[in-house]
Amino acid sequence: MTTETIAVQPPKKPTRTLREILTRNPVVLKELRGRMRGARAFALLTFHILAMSGFVTLLYTAYTASASTPYSGFDRQALGKVVFYGVAGIELLLVCFITPSFTVGAISGERERQTYDLLRTTLLSSRALVFGKLTSALAFVFLLLVAALPLQSLAFLLGGVAPEEIIIATVLLVMAAFLYGSAGILFSSLMRRTLGATVLTYSFVLLTTLGLPILALALLPVLGFIGYSNTPPLIIQAIMLYLLGLLVVTNPLATAVITEVILIDQHTAFYFTQSISDPTSGNSFQLPLVSPWLPFAVLAFLMSLLLIFASILAVRRAER
Amino acid sequence: MPAIIETRNLTKRYGKLIAVNDLSLSVEQGAIYGFVGPNGAGKTTTMRMMTTLLQPTSGEAWIAGHSATKDPRSVRRAIGYMPDFFGVYDDMKVWEYLDFFGACYEIPEAQRVMLIGDLLELVDLSHRRDDQVDTLSRGMKQRLCLARTLAHDPQVLILDEPASGLDPRARIEIRELLIELSRLGKTIFFSTHILADVAEICTQVGIVEGGKLVAQGSIAEMQRRLMPHRRVHIKLLGQLEAAQQALLGREGVLEMRAPAINGGGTHPILEVDFAGDDAGVSALLQHLVSQNIPVLHFTESVQDVEEMFMKVTKGIVS
Repeated sequence: MTTETIAVQPPKKPTRTLREILTRNPVVLKELRGRMRGARAFALLTFHILAMSGFVTLLYTAYTASASTPYSGFDRQALGKVVFYGVAGIELLLVCFITPSFTVGAISGERERQTYDLLRTTLLSSRALVFGKLTSALAFVFLLLVAALPLQSLAFLLGGVAPEEIIIATVLLVMAAFLYGSAGILFSSLMRRTLGATVLTYSFVLLTTLGLPILALALLPVLGFIGYSNTPPLIIQAIMLYLLGLLVVTNPLATAVITEVILIDQHTAFYFTQSISDPTSGNSFQLPLVSPWLPFAVLAFLMSLLLIFASILAVRRAER
Repeated sequence: MPAIIETRNLTKRYGKLIAVNDLSLSVEQGAIYGFVGPNGAGKTTTMRMMTTLLQPTSGEAWIAGHSATKDPRSVRRAIGYMPDFFGVYDDMKVWEYLDFFGACYEIPEAQRVMLIGDLLELVDLSHRRDDQVDTLSRGMKQRLCLARTLAHDPQVLILDEPASGLDPRARIEIRELLIELSRLGKTIFFSTHILADVAEICTQVGIVEGGKLVAQGSIAEMQRRLMPHRRVHIKLLGQLEAAQQALLGREGVLEMRAPAINGGGTHPILEVDFAGDDAGVSALLQHLVSQNIPVLHFTESVQDVEEMFMKVTKGIVS
């Protein structure tokens, strides 16, 4: 008699639909319901697409007008690049300044509506509350980005845009949304009033988008003067270059511009070297550098996690 | 009866200000506990510490055997809390409001549909199921909030001023609901200013002033302790003087008054302060009847709660 072994199939995990994943967190469902209800969301989306369309039309008209002079030929690929830069740039600005507006009232708004205490006495964890608020806000920002995709695809139609440029732009947009959305949540959970949270959040946004570049611009002549009068040793040059790089990666707009410049000049989206030399000793060195979008993405991701963690702690803490 | 709510030396300080001072109270399972005190006495602060929202400076609160500071999740599972404000989302429908809080209490989606129907029926809001929350009247919003506290079938309801700001009808409806919920086995702990509600529905009372619990117990117990005599109201068809003569000098009768008749009534009323047991009160009535005095109404006063309140409080606000 032979014995047969019957293979026991492990029970299949039930597959969840996107709706189920989203609606497992009650806050996501409630926020999305509230946000998409009525004419408000429709009006915002329509305004967004109309404004973007107007901007792309302006870019197209300006380029074709300047390109149709007798001395310049019409370069379709260059036009494609202009449209891509224009749309991606506007979207990045939009993400930096609009995303926090969706999260800045997330927790303080609950306090103002006097619903915060009700939520805190339910079994809803502080983690679920913070993630729910952030997910629903980001979902709407991504909806705005997806809605503008047909306009972005105009650039793909004209050509001149490399796949890596699209991937990098997407990563920058997602990470910037994540970072500024998380900043909004943190200030919202720390402040009692949405007004105070808004002031702090936009101070943070302005500092990282405009403040640091202005600081860098103010410092550059000083650095240049030092450079001309007395070329510093290689190690100082290297440190200064890395510091400048660090300053760039704290800023999504500067990161986008410098990444594109490196992509055009160095033909790489990842790793490259920069030659530095000391004219007095005649020594030179190939300084290893990475394209700023990579450290920006990592930094923004880690910073976002830190901000979210701090928000969860702030929400979890019982009032003292 | 075991205590389902217990606080021991509960204290909350804000710098030099002591909002709640060494407060120890105990609520029996199934009780309707009226937490009474003037404004600023520390009622809301005490309730916020019980509901895990506020960290006490010292002392501890236990709900259904769980510590509010060490095991807040179990406490939240055991309580339904209604603060002294509505706390409703304006951009929601009535059923969505209950569905959201049901989900926050981890009730599966399939069960929530039936639960919402039951809760709306209990608070008599089934006909407003699909209306926006902000279109409800004040009383309806209060009933909806009460329905929300019941979503997860808690053992204890902690309600902060549930009848404040409501019109008389809405107030009576809330009072009836509390009695109904007590019948369903819930322990109800509520703060109030309305002493008539306390006298009518509470099985236990705690009086707080200046952050301290100044008296606690059942109304009958407190009456015995604080009011050495009972007050009997006698409404007569006439013969007020004869009634006074009949009771004068009788054992246990301490004082008699004949307050002015108001409210358009014509029958004289005699108020008697009496020191004695139930049998003594019954003998008083028998005596009047045997003297052929026409008694229309003979009852022990319930307005004593107000008097008790005035007796134990001194008007101190922390």
